[in-house]
Amino acid sequence: MSQRDLAAELRAARITVPFEVRERVRAIAATDSTAREPRFTWRRALVVALPVAAALAATIVFTRPTQHAGTALELQATKAATVPTAVPDTGAKSFSGTGHVRAGVAGVPTTAIPVPPSRTRLQRYGASLALSVSTPDGISAGVQRALRIVASLGGHPTSVHASSRGRSAHAELVLRIPRRNVQRAVTRLSQLGTITGEQVDVQDVQGDLDATSRTVTRLQGTLRDLRAQVQTPDVVRRITAISTRIASLQRGEASTIRTASFATVRLSLATPTVKVAPHHSRPGPFHWLGRALFWLGIGAVYALALGIPLALLAFGILLIVRIVRRRREDALLNRT
Amino acid sequence: MTREMTFAQAAETHLDDVYGYLAWFTGDRGAADDLTGETFERALRLWHRFDPRRGSARTWLCQLARTVALDHFRSEKRRVRREELAAAPERIDERFAEGLSADLESALRVLSAGEREVVALRVVLDLDASTTARILGISPTNCTTRLNRALKKLEGALHVAA
Repeated sequence: MSQRDLAAELRAARITVPFEVRERVRAIAATDSTAREPRFTWRRALVVALPVAAALAATIVFTRPTQHAGTALELQATKAATVPTAVPDTGAKSFSGTGHVRAGVAGVPTTAIPVPPSRTRLQRYGASLALSVSTPDGISAGVQRALRIVASLGGHPTSVHASSRGRSAHAELVLRIPRRNVQRAVTRLSQLGTITGEQVDVQDVQGDLDATSRTVTRLQGTLRDLRAQVQTPDVVRRITAISTRIASLQRGEASTIRTASFATVRLSLATPTVKVAPHHSRPGPFHWLGRALFWLGIGAVYALALGIPLALLAFGILLIVRIVRRRREDALLNRT
Repeated sequence: MTREMTFAQAAETHLDDVYGYLAWFTGDRGAADDLTGETFERALRLWHRFDPRRGSARTWLCQLARTVALDHFRSEKRRVRREELAAAPERIDERFAEGLSADLESALRVLSAGEREVVALRVVLDLDASTTARILGISPTNCTTRLNRALKKLEGALHVAA
């Protein structure tokens, strides 16, 4: 029998559906009361609408202008100051800190932070004062007045630098002022302009000084004992070494006292910084569309960078699952 | 097949094809009876998913019938393993269809379920290669190869019987 005859015989064969099966299927079909689901459903619409809404919201959030944009003129005054309100006579050797106050010109304090030097302990005292003066001429006059104030309080300038450019000017002075007068000096200097920044650094050196004094006293005792002994070459050599050591320590002590007796005040005078806001042109009709496309582009790049490897991985897994399932199916059907 | 076709119409029109396919596929009329009912129950549940633009109702029902039959084969396999029966279930007295010669009936027993399936779809139901391939989840070329192999095997079995 040829394949054609074979096929013809197979086609001619009839398989009659048993009556019970037909009735059962009709009974099943009779229970069909469901209408065909329309292609547009709220559920499907929601699946599309939610991501679109999220993307739109993200675009608006990322592309809206900031609150401060568009201010024509902004005057800024910054006050940086050391926070401690009093210098402790004992305790920490060094302390300093900064507080940052941002306010308009009218809100800037006009008096210096009262941090008086200690009367009982030796301290290294440093202060920085930034003042705003309205005109370049005011800067020049301020420098002159500052020098006079310092001289009247027994101090001297170690460096003076002044510069002007157009309507802005700036001066930097480093002043050495006797420690006992530094509070008065800062108070008087702060009246040369509007305080825009202030910092006070106080370092306690009394502890070091006391330790050095104790060492000197101890070495002097040792020296006395050695001088009372028979003056052998070894004793003489030790006496010389200790004497040298005592002299060195006393020199250091004197230097510390000398340095600490003067405070360093850095005075900065400057005309106010006028910050002109950049000119913002009115956005065109396609501005937001451009912004949205920009962010969409960024999103697309990220999506591609992350999505392609993930898609390849998912495709590979799907392929493997299909192959395995097909092989199992074939094995099942060949066995049956 | 129009989009407006109801499930009842589809069931009435294609019941013979589905039943015939399952009978050939399983080689067991009793199993085909049960599986036909199961197929249409499942089809009723999933009828809302049927999209006439993607294929005919007959193709869709045959795909469902195949899934149901595969589940049946799997459960049968587990049952046989559980009962530790080495031989396949007895189906000697079963007839595939009315009008087949005794030689062809016995030759058909030589074919595996996979081979009977492709013969049923391509020859008995007269589906084209692409539709059959879609139901089987294989390529049309693979489908044709399977059919040729099955028919050759059937031919060989007929020669032996003769």
